[in-house]
Amino acid sequence: MIQMTYKKPLPWPNPDTKTFWDGCRQHELQFQKCFPCGHVRWPASIICPMCYSKETEWIKASGKGTVYTYAVYHQAFHPSFEKDIPYVTAIIKLAEGPHFLSNIVGCRSDEVYCDMPVEVTWEDVDEAFSLPKFKPDT
Amino acid sequence: MNFKDRYAIVGIGYTPQGRVPDRTALSFYLEACANAIMDAGLERKDIDGLMCYRQFPQRPGEEEVTSYLVAQQLGLRPNVLSQEATCARSHFHHAIGVLEAGLCNYVVLSYADNSLLGTSNPHQPYSDKAVFGQFGAAGDYAMAARRAMHTLPTGPETWQEIAVTQRKWANLNPKAIMYDRPLTYEDYYHSKWVVEPLRLVDCCLINDGGRACVITSLERARDLKNPPAVIMGLGQHNPSWDIRQSTCMDGPTGAKIAGRQAFEMAGVTTDDIDACQIYDCFTYTVEITLQDYGFFAPGEGKDWFKDGHAAPGGALPVNTSGGQLSEAYFMGLTPITEAAMQLTGRCGDRQLGPKTGTKTPEIILCSDNGGILQTHSSVILRGL
Repeated sequence: MIQMTYKKPLPWPNPDTKTFWDGCRQHELQFQKCFPCGHVRWPASIICPMCYSKETEWIKASGKGTVYTYAVYHQAFHPSFEKDIPYVTAIIKLAEGPHFLSNIVGCRSDEVYCDMPVEVTWEDVDEAFSLPKFKPDT
Repeated sequence: MNFKDRYAIVGIGYTPQGRVPDRTALSFYLEACANAIMDAGLERKDIDGLMCYRQFPQRPGEEEVTSYLVAQQLGLRPNVLSQEATCARSHFHHAIGVLEAGLCNYVVLSYADNSLLGTSNPHQPYSDKAVFGQFGAAGDYAMAARRAMHTLPTGPETWQEIAVTQRKWANLNPKAIMYDRPLTYEDYYHSKWVVEPLRLVDCCLINDGGRACVITSLERARDLKNPPAVIMGLGQHNPSWDIRQSTCMDGPTGAKIAGRQAFEMAGVTTDDIDACQIYDCFTYTVEITLQDYGFFAPGEGKDWFKDGHAAPGGALPVNTSGGQLSEAYFMGLTPITEAAMQLTGRCGDRQLGPKTGTKTPEIILCSDNGGILQTHSSVILRGL
């Protein structure tokens, strides 16, 4: 669903993250995987923080993971989030390894817990961007 | 290099603090630094090093507070000038490095802000976090605290003890913003959520004001008017990883290695520490820091803090000014200046010793911590 009046901060792709956000537009969660050592990294960057190789491929992640930790917002620090309160931000430990900050949707804030299995769900916020959010994996 | 007992804090500068209207951030820097220099019995011509903590974006109509501007307005022409870009918190290593190298004889370290004046610059640096509604240190620390609740026996039952303990100290400190505001356990649970699981009383204060101190060699310190607070040990360790990638938010944080370095340099253990001044951006930070320093086993903070163990009259006082939760927020200078003041017997009604039913302190352990548990420094001070 396209939200015509999207007022929240939008992603701002840069040369490192453009592939990631382009993938999101296609509802594909992609991360860089290092060729020599196999480390899957996020945030996107030019070299592998483990072996310093620049040889990399973008892999499509399964979109499945668990809640590493989360926070519940009861007040809005930006007016565009007021209607969402209480909302949940969470760090998702993805099956492929990387940790990714997003939101938990599709359940009440008091139903979220650490280690909760989640899967990606896509929010098309405007013509250019789709945001990966996470819902309980039932 | 071991510089145990070779350098000391010799002057402390305070300013009015709390809600102080009609003041620029710069004005608090100048007042804090000038007061620290005068407190040490020094003159501006003596000061050859100036180091400032990071500065948050300035208020509309104010110049950016740089270390250049502070030096200019204090009539200083220092050999060494520096300012944190982020929160790396290695000031004491820098200060001692330049003293040791012979570049400087007297270094002033300062932080100030006019946080309550209103909206800061709305043009914050871009972060993917805001896309998902993650804002500020409270949001990130809420995630750290939540993770700790999952892996340790901890939570509000521990943090209420820290908030109440520190408020008791603040109630003895007329300079503390919360001086005349007692805090009960019931009040703790009535405090509103900032970002769950952190309540307002779990969060440090936001205030106007400034703080500064002067560091020199112990040799020079002996000629000055105040008794010195001698630097016995230093440590610094920086896990660096942002909250989104961190796997140490529930410990061990940088405090573990930084603390070990400081203890080894000082040649002491936790048993020798008479009081702690712990960087307390949030209650949870105090718990995880003391845990990583080894004062209690993981998850045993609740029992350690209960029955006033760290409060006035307790066996191991913690954050005796009220700390950043209840006195005032000046980054790492709130803890370190309080330690120096306590060791030199200048703390009035909150003075450790007979006045507060505690041991007269000989050795105090201080911490500073930046980012979201990304950097950590430890300083052990003793009196002379």
